[in-house]
Amino acid sequence: MNKEYINIALADDDEDDRFFFTEAFEELKIKNKVTTFKDGIDLMLHLEQESNVLPDLLFLDLNMPKKSGIECLKEIKLNTKFKDLIIAIYSTSSSEEDVEKTFVLGANIYITKPNDFEKLKKVLSEVVTTNWQYHTSGLNKENFLLRL
Amino acid sequence: MLLTPSKLLKIVFGVGLFVILCIGGITYKHLGSLSQTSEVVMDTYNLRNELETIISNLKDAELGHRGFLLTNDSLFLEPYQESIDKITNNLNRLDTLIIKNNGQRKNLNQLEIDIAKRFIIFNKSLDIVEDKSALSNELFILLHEGKYKMDRIRDDISVMLDFENKMLLENQKKNEQAIGTTPLFLYGILIITLVLLLVAYAKINRDLKILKDNNEDLEIFKQLTEQAEIINDSSTWVWDIENNTFKFSDNLYRLIGEEPQSFESTLENYMSYVHDDDREILGQQINLMFKEEKFPFINYRVVHKDGTVRCLRGYGQLMDSELGEKFLLGITMDITDDLKNYETIEERNKELERNNKELSAFNYVASHDLQEPLRKIQTFISRLETKEKENISEKGQFYLEKIKSSSARMRMLIEDLLQYSRTNNSDSEFKRTNMNILLENAKQELSDSIEAKNAVVISADLPTMEVVSFQIQQLFINLLSNSLKYSKEGVAPKIEITHQEVSSDDVVEILNKSLFKYHHKITFTDNGIGFDQIYGEKIFDLFNRLHGKSEYSGTGIGLAICKKIVDNHNGVILAEGQPNIGATFTIYLPFLK
Repeated sequence: MNKEYINIALADDDEDDRFFFTEAFEELKIKNKVTTFKDGIDLMLHLEQESNVLPDLLFLDLNMPKKSGIECLKEIKLNTKFKDLIIAIYSTSSSEEDVEKTFVLGANIYITKPNDFEKLKKVLSEVVTTNWQYHTSGLNKENFLLRL
Repeated sequence: MLLTPSKLLKIVFGVGLFVILCIGGITYKHLGSLSQTSEVVMDTYNLRNELETIISNLKDAELGHRGFLLTNDSLFLEPYQESIDKITNNLNRLDTLIIKNNGQRKNLNQLEIDIAKRFIIFNKSLDIVEDKSALSNELFILLHEGKYKMDRIRDDISVMLDFENKMLLENQKKNEQAIGTTPLFLYGILIITLVLLLVAYAKINRDLKILKDNNEDLEIFKQLTEQAEIINDSSTWVWDIENNTFKFSDNLYRLIGEEPQSFESTLENYMSYVHDDDREILGQQINLMFKEEKFPFINYRVVHKDGTVRCLRGYGQLMDSELGEKFLLGITMDITDDLKNYETIEERNKELERNNKELSAFNYVASHDLQEPLRKIQTFISRLETKEKENISEKGQFYLEKIKSSSARMRMLIEDLLQYSRTNNSDSEFKRTNMNILLENAKQELSDSIEAKNAVVISADLPTMEVVSFQIQQLFINLLSNSLKYSKEGVAPKIEITHQEVSSDDVVEILNKSLFKYHHKITFTDNGIGFDQIYGEKIFDLFNRLHGKSEYSGTGIGLAICKKIVDNHNGVILAEGQPNIGATFTIYLPFLK
């Protein structure tokens, strides 16, 4: 990451979660720019707009109104324009079904929202500092779900 | 070849008839030969008689002849002439008597010649007497010659009589031989016939008895069928297709709300009970049945006279009788109640499906929607703790601590409940799994608290089994954490795991309901606080806790999950405890050898 800052996007319908998310990144000592979207439609509109800069990292909540995280994931993976986009699933549940589905659809990592702010910070910094080229090549079902 | 009773009977009667015919034939033949014999005897008697008459006639002739010679009176010639006629007649009769006998024929010819010669001599001597010229010397010679001829005739006759006697004797001998064996033969045959008839009688008697028994069985069967029909709400009918006649069983009348046999059993009469809307279709289906010789189930409604509508189901089967007649044998049953029950079941099923959907919706709510606000509460608490701690009073911090532990407890409850409901999963897959690995995973999962409590886990070698691996792993986790949780204060927990293969017969009191012959027995023994054995069963109930919440954390779900998992594997789990000494959990899991 030789850019000045990391461009991070989050699509989550929950206002509190968006708040925790941005607050956590503010406290992290990483130069970043966080953009949040309140649902899947907002996110996709932004991504498809040619003039917008694409994020390096996209955090995707699964359960969203109008357009779910799974739908967004499918659309993104169909479009070659987004082939370098790192996608982290950011969900409340870690049901086996969801983990399996998103893994098969090509997400890069699966994060369960922690119930402790310090933990959240730890998780997010872990994701941001991951060497994605290395991680993606050795990706399997076991290390797909992030455990801290 | 198989001899059927009727065939055997036919054979016996055939043989009997043949034997009787034989007896008739033989008797007829023997009677014929007997009458023949008596005829021969009669002939012999007549022959002898004739021959004796000839001699007496010749004597008469000689007497007359001598009288004439002495007296020359023609009065003596009369008997002489008469005897000549008589002898001629005698000879004729003899001729007919010996018509079939060649030996006698020769003898008779000789006799005739000799008699003729005798008469020549008679006539000569008579001529001499009439001439009166003849010398008495010449007459003397003729008389001598006459006597000599007479002797010859006597010889001839005795020859004939001897011959006849001999023949009679031979004949008698022959007949005696033939007739002697006849009675014995006839008697023998008669006995055989009698035996055959007795056998036939016995056979008929036995067959009759069998027939009677069969008839009785049929009668019983008929009664049973009638009872079965009443209980089953079913009925039977027979359709003689050629004659287009019907036989309805009593219960068919009852099924359409009528008294048994209360109207003539015809299709038209029956059809009048069929529901107006179904009559046409039923008629079409019956026609189709005959055209294609296919007999599917036919459902239709009937209307009783009191207006009750019942649903019936009919089924027919074609039968060819031995005489080549065609019958349609049918069964008709009342399926109204079945249909009603089916509808009820259908409704219940739908209700169950609805309930299941609600349950899974609840699961989702529990897993997702309930956890979300809780997570936020916990996150905000963590924010308060790190950012605003110095601004909160001591009391406020105490309250905050309480909120924190309560929300942690709530999280635990939700997670355990989810675990419990997930254990329900009926489509979980059974796979051959090495249980040692599952135990190792469980220990890994609990490594923090194992380390914190300085616990020792000693495990025997566990088998490889067909199990739902994540469930068994959960079982191990729950049992281990249970032992860790209820350990004695100040004593390092020691958990011992053993394994043993047992035959179900050896632990009948525990496994008496098990269908399996062999079980793996796995025990978890700890040195914890134990429990009173009176709670041995209660301990597995959902939300059942033996200790206050403040003493030991726990939701009362962990062991209930254990029981559920073992139940899913058709196994048995038991708990034995001694207060302050420890607890032993024993699991029996079935396997096939």
